[in-house]
Amino acid sequence: MKNKTYMCILRSETGGCEQPSPSEMEIVYAKYQAWQQKFADNIVDMGNKLGSVGSVVRHDGVSDGPFIELKEVIGGYMMITAATLDEAIAVIKASPMVSNTGTSIEIREICTP
Amino acid sequence: MNQHEQVEHLFRHEYGKLVALLSRRMSIQHIDAIEDAVQWSLTQALEFWCRDSIPNNPSAWLYQVAYRHLLSEFRVKKRRGSLLTKHFIIDDEAQEHEEIPFSGEISNSMLRVLFVACNEAIPIESQLVFTLKSLCGFSIREISFRLFITEANVYKRFGRAKQHLKNQTIELDSLTDAELNDRLPSIHRVLYLVFTEGYLSSHPDRAIRQDLCKEAIRLATLLAESKLGNVPDSYALLALMYFHLARIQTREDDFGALLLLEQQDRHKWNKQQITLGMTFLAQSGSGDTISRYHVEAGIAAEHCLSPSFKQTRWDNIVASYELLERIAPSPLHLLNRAIATAEWKDPHAGLAVLNSSDMPNWLNRSYYWYAVQADLVFRCGETARGREYAKLAIDEAPTEQIKQLLFKRLLKR
Repeated sequence: MKNKTYMCILRSETGGCEQPSPSEMEIVYAKYQAWQQKFADNIVDMGNKLGSVGSVVRHDGVSDGPFIELKEVIGGYMMITAATLDEAIAVIKASPMVSNTGTSIEIREICTP
Repeated sequence: MNQHEQVEHLFRHEYGKLVALLSRRMSIQHIDAIEDAVQWSLTQALEFWCRDSIPNNPSAWLYQVAYRHLLSEFRVKKRRGSLLTKHFIIDDEAQEHEEIPFSGEISNSMLRVLFVACNEAIPIESQLVFTLKSLCGFSIREISFRLFITEANVYKRFGRAKQHLKNQTIELDSLTDAELNDRLPSIHRVLYLVFTEGYLSSHPDRAIRQDLCKEAIRLATLLAESKLGNVPDSYALLALMYFHLARIQTREDDFGALLLLEQQDRHKWNKQQITLGMTFLAQSGSGDTISRYHVEAGIAAEHCLSPSFKQTRWDNIVASYELLERIAPSPLHLLNRAIATAEWKDPHAGLAVLNSSDMPNWLNRSYYWYAVQADLVFRCGETARGREYAKLAIDEAPTEQIKQLLFKRLLKR
């Protein structure tokens, strides 16, 4: 049963199992990568398979997601918690972000489309 | 938090649970009456709790008030002869159902309502709107923000879903496994969006809502453990969620301002959660199909394993976004690929990716678009064009104060 490993790891949250080393993690990840690579190598084939099983493509429209690049890499974008614009400015001034010389920060209220 | 805020905070959490429990007991056909009863219990709570104090078990209090209200509504309708009685024999069962539900029952009810609402006879967008609003306590505004549609449109879709659920005659128990299986993609998407809202919220007061992330993980875990939900996509989704959860504590500074990836203290990323994510990712990597959750989890894993921002294997990330664009087309993937390309090569290369295809209107006006454009253009040293984007931003700014501020910050420097 697939759930076996999962149970073991869950116990480790309360201090049961030992943490895997970074290299052990890399090995697990590399195995996954090899699996994913099959799809990248053979896009047409994958498309057909997806179509027949109807797993994702059929249903999926555009929606937002937890994208690290868009939301955590781009310097021009961050969201802060503040009730008013003044408060937002105060928060920004207090944060380490403005300490980088040459950075300027644009503050915009997020509005719905 | 003052009393009033505490009550409001609680409501967001309780709303979906109450709707789920009552739908389970009364059948989802009565969704309008159920939502009325839930709202009634919340207004009652506002009145009594703010005057007296919050009871020891607020959930039980709300449940009982909502349940009694629903019963009395049904009795009135029954007397008028306007209600079919086959679904419940009110007086015999009333006592039993008034008992306080236990937590396992709440989870099962929520999972159940997810399966009921994610019915392919309902348009996908309506399913999403219904579950996000009724089960996950999203506001109309939050939904409009996440799905890139207008608030009016959200209302319309919500109404359509409710209309369908009210007319639904087939009970969940009579559906075949194959029919239930067809509903999994919608369920995955709903859980993904709940997580997304938690990961970076559109809520004005809280940038990161861990409670929503954990709620999504709880439901996704239940799903993956269930007979029907035990599929690779469910594990990929869980992996994605754990990789993000592992970093969540490091994304805010002491002042509540968000920290970008480069500024996060990687030593503080939660290793156990990363391990858990990796376990789920390994479990997900089987079978003949790949989902967007697989690829997105792979990208998140890449970041979690990287010892530093600089050492990130951006080439892998760029390749993953290319794959993502093919299996789940969205211009947002192009934006992400542009950013990753700028890190891998240089800002000019990023900009070339960004301008390689036409953006749809909704994205052209989204702040995501302005942010990426402005960032890359300024990094390319094109101040003049940067100014143009700044001007555009000012034109699009919603209020006079913000226009003034933008003018001062961007054009008077």
